[in-house]
Amino acid sequence: MAEVHEVLLAGTDEHDLRRLDEYRAIGGYRGVEKARAMTSDALIEELQAANLRGRGGAGFPMGRKASLIDRKSPKPKYLVVNADESEPGAFKDREVMAKVPHRLIEGCLIAAHAIESTDVFIYIRGEYLTEYEILAAAVDEAREAGIFGDVTITVHRGAGAYICGEETALLESLEGKRGQPRPRPPFPPIQGLYAAPTQINNVCTIATVPMILEMGAAEFAKTGVPSSPGTAIFSVSGNVVRPGNYELDLGTPMRELIYEHAGGIAAGRELKAVIPGGSSVPALTPDQIDVPLDYDSLGAIGTFFGAASLIVVDDRCCMVQLALRSTKFYAHESCGKCTPCRVGTRWMVQILESIENGTATLADLELLDSVGDNILGKVLCALGEFAVYPVASYLDKWRDEFVAHIEHGGCPFEGSSSLDGIVAPSDQHAHTPAGQEALV
Amino acid sequence: MSTELVRVTIDERDVHVPKGTGIVETALAAGVEIPVFCYEPRLGAPVGACRMCLVEVEGMPKLQTACTLTAQDGMVVKTARTSEKSAAGQKGTLEFLLVNHPLDCPVCDKGGECPLQDLTFRYGPGNTRMSYDKLTFEKPIPISPTIALDRERCILCYRCTRFSESVSEDLQLIAANRGALSVITTFEDLPYTGAFTGNVTELCPVGALLPTQYRFEGRPWEIVDVPTVCGLCPVGCNVNATVREGNVKRILSRNHPEIDEGWICDKGRFAFTHLRAEDRLAQPLQRVRRRGLEAISWEQALDEAERLLRAARGRIVTVLSGSETVEQAYALAKLLRVGLDSHQATLPEEISGGLDAYRLPLSAIRDADAVVVLGDVPVVERAPVVDLWVKAARRNGARILDDAGDPALAEAERVVLVWSGPGGRGGATVAQLAEKLGLAGREGCGAFYLPETPNGRGVADAWAACCDEEGAELESIGLLVVSGDEAAADENVRALAEQADATIVTSMFGGLSAGWADLVLPGTSYLERDGTFVNLEGRLQRLRRTVEPPCPDELEWIADLAARFGVDVAPYAAAVFAEVSDRVYGGLTFGEVGERAPLRGYPEAQEHVSRAALPATEPKARRGEIRLVAYKPLFSGAAVERVAELQFQRPQPELELSADDARRRKIATGDLVTVGSNGSAITLPARVNRRLRAGVARVAIEHANGLGGIVEIEKVAEEVTA
Repeated sequence: MAEVHEVLLAGTDEHDLRRLDEYRAIGGYRGVEKARAMTSDALIEELQAANLRGRGGAGFPMGRKASLIDRKSPKPKYLVVNADESEPGAFKDREVMAKVPHRLIEGCLIAAHAIESTDVFIYIRGEYLTEYEILAAAVDEAREAGIFGDVTITVHRGAGAYICGEETALLESLEGKRGQPRPRPPFPPIQGLYAAPTQINNVCTIATVPMILEMGAAEFAKTGVPSSPGTAIFSVSGNVVRPGNYELDLGTPMRELIYEHAGGIAAGRELKAVIPGGSSVPALTPDQIDVPLDYDSLGAIGTFFGAASLIVVDDRCCMVQLALRSTKFYAHESCGKCTPCRVGTRWMVQILESIENGTATLADLELLDSVGDNILGKVLCALGEFAVYPVASYLDKWRDEFVAHIEHGGCPFEGSSSLDGIVAPSDQHAHTPAGQEALV
Repeated sequence: MSTELVRVTIDERDVHVPKGTGIVETALAAGVEIPVFCYEPRLGAPVGACRMCLVEVEGMPKLQTACTLTAQDGMVVKTARTSEKSAAGQKGTLEFLLVNHPLDCPVCDKGGECPLQDLTFRYGPGNTRMSYDKLTFEKPIPISPTIALDRERCILCYRCTRFSESVSEDLQLIAANRGALSVITTFEDLPYTGAFTGNVTELCPVGALLPTQYRFEGRPWEIVDVPTVCGLCPVGCNVNATVREGNVKRILSRNHPEIDEGWICDKGRFAFTHLRAEDRLAQPLQRVRRRGLEAISWEQALDEAERLLRAARGRIVTVLSGSETVEQAYALAKLLRVGLDSHQATLPEEISGGLDAYRLPLSAIRDADAVVVLGDVPVVERAPVVDLWVKAARRNGARILDDAGDPALAEAERVVLVWSGPGGRGGATVAQLAEKLGLAGREGCGAFYLPETPNGRGVADAWAACCDEEGAELESIGLLVVSGDEAAADENVRALAEQADATIVTSMFGGLSAGWADLVLPGTSYLERDGTFVNLEGRLQRLRRTVEPPCPDELEWIADLAARFGVDVAPYAAAVFAEVSDRVYGGLTFGEVGERAPLRGYPEAQEHVSRAALPATEPKARRGEIRLVAYKPLFSGAAVERVAELQFQRPQPELELSADDARRRKIATGDLVTVGSNGSAITLPARVNRRLRAGVARVAIEHANGLGGIVEIEKVAEEVTA
């Protein structure tokens, strides 16, 4: 097993880093002091040199985002932390907030200094109650200890909508409006929260920032792989022996993560698919898992690094059922603002159901493809595309299985398929508004 | 928007537009249509929701929504006409929009005038690939007595909710739920109430939001839209009356960008069914001793009118409503003043030409830096669309002030005054204020007086233009001529009638004149008249006869009567107008007034002498005192009273109190309070309004029980329950 180099979760095994004194004892909040001794220009330069790429999914360099903020604007500048972790399969931010909230807070203070902001909002997923309580307590403790200076940090709980993890929908929600994405441009660095310059980053991105200050950008940039320095917490779920979070250097081979860290597939079963970035990305086949886990390597084989959340699927799983489970989730979470996503995801669910039930024809496979095409690249935000990417990849790589459903007049697994542990069905939290029929 | 011109290429055609122009407009300038559903510039920033306007932009990998893009120099755009990718995107969007749409066009009232139908015909797929169950919803949902919602037809373009949020700012229409189950609804399913709700039925690009009055009432090929002007308030919104088989079926806006921007109020939109009210008069009525009013023929009625007029020559007093056309008022004036030497007339309010130096189009309010709203009558109750302009100004960053002495005015370049209270001396007071502030001749500066009557200015012009004689004060009234429903409904006028030897009333409704008139001549509605109105801007506008009245038009019988007294009055509006115009409107011809009239100056218009007595200034409340403003609500009057579906809009019996006064008296919203003055008192629930000035309380006049001026307000002690 390769040496594990921890950044985000460093010290969490030995210390209770929810406590300010323990975090300080391992050198916590020294990064803020260093940062505050620098000008914001120098700090942004340092962040850009570190080439820290956004861990929320898009991989946009954090330092460059900060450099886009108009610090001379007469409006207030805002830092918003996206802690609305909702991607099926992702549970990395949760671990950071639960185990080392001060690292996130320290990252906030450094990033706020860089963009000359005094107002930080942490938008945390509503269901993360325990994490919220830990984080809020840590914020209180740090504030009372006088670490904040003139900065205020507000922890705001979401209300249970996946779409609010989309940055502009998050801003709408934070402003007290219905959580729906905004058209872009204007992008948040130009016109974000309350139409003011706004930096938005994921929890893990911001929580990595103190380490950049501690190591120095030049040293940090040498970790991981050159195109993606640093570590990532990989959430591994599905059919592995030891599901959980593993913080590893970027560039670690996927095979190593699955078979060494996560214990591989249970005896007697075979790997069938890996969805590498949370349920929204194209799946990989077993012959593709020697890929290094970093943004560019995964991009090169047609998928996404996404939320660094691997869903491992073994051979008991029916890919049509998996497609249905995934699509139902996105149909349920579609915000309803733009037409292709609102209508297309429901239509996809209907087509997939008819394939699974054996009432579809081969023409329905073409239809499914075509409906997906009419969503891709035509939607207001990425949610609609998240519904299509995985399904299109299943249809492409496991087409035989889809065809078998049609020829067999139903699911060839005949009830023996298992999706146990592979993301949760959306039905468990689906609700039907009073007086209305269910979605499909 | 910048004045810098940029070059944009749309489908290989170069066009130069100001930088920042929307791409939909840029394409239009290049002669290219980009279809849209959700895009509507009047609703504020584009939202990019429907995805109908997808275009290809050079240098951008994905299709872009034209509605959210603005023109930048060198931009190259390909629409569906030249880009297969864009055409495919558009086709896909239309297919999606139709997936759950019921396609019940044959029974949908929008069919034939439906953007979804039109764009599907032009750009859509010829058939459907949707073979699964469509989403169904309970329908239609009455979101108010005037608007029905069909959620199955809804394509969720969010035009209606954006209107409610960003134009009328009533925040009542919202989207609930998520994804395909998203629905338009009102908060807590309360009826959608407010002055402007009906506009959403015109904004809706499908048959989802329909006026209940128009459901199943007409197909587009059976109707004709007649352009006219609303005659229910002094704004004079430009409207179309949809007519089928001689009946008005609905009223639509007809965008005049300087007056109404295409928004009309619910009174203007929904009150038209008063034309067919149960007590609508078609036959003249004559008082017969002991038997009351009895129907008589027109011949008999005119003979009787002639007899009454002849008997009272020189001793006739006329009460005008301010809702007559310029031509009617002039014809009546000519008959009574020239023919019968009777010059005494009363208008319901004072009218002054003093504001002519401060004339502006209403749209200038939107562009102002500061708007001073003076007086405590809510603007929306008196001239509803003006309220939308003030809101637009506030959204644009203007300061909305309530004091012409506010120091903030010193910094504002464009200042507009709006008088919305009593005691403005017909605009003379606000003109004085404008002069004091030095607004004359300053660009974007001006002043408006909001009169209570729709054509008070035009009627005063006409009455004055007819004759220069003044006539002596009368010792007794030989005959009272009451013109129009507003005058007929006025209790002071009825009191005056008791002093007169006889009374002639012209009124649309029997209910208004029973009991006190000696002769009743049926009146017409503004929707049945040809003629002109002068609105609160001083803009002369053209009314058109949209349907035939059930009785002869006023001009017809006035001309007949005038002939009997040797006076020449033409029975046609065009001819009467020509006479008035020669005297006050610079010789403009009837045809030149125009369908979307410009704001003209009329140098000949005279300073009118006031005949109605109004207090010069409002009594000032001393510290701690409260002055009660009893205002006439928008949803009131003879027409509104006769429209069943508008009754929910009438004001609740409640007293509006400022936050200051409420706090001082420990009154909260919902508490019962007594309002008293001079020994009489009323008890009403209170509502605290944070926008109201301290020292002012407000109540709709119909709930005021005659109270006004300085009042005592006290909370009713709560009953002690065991």
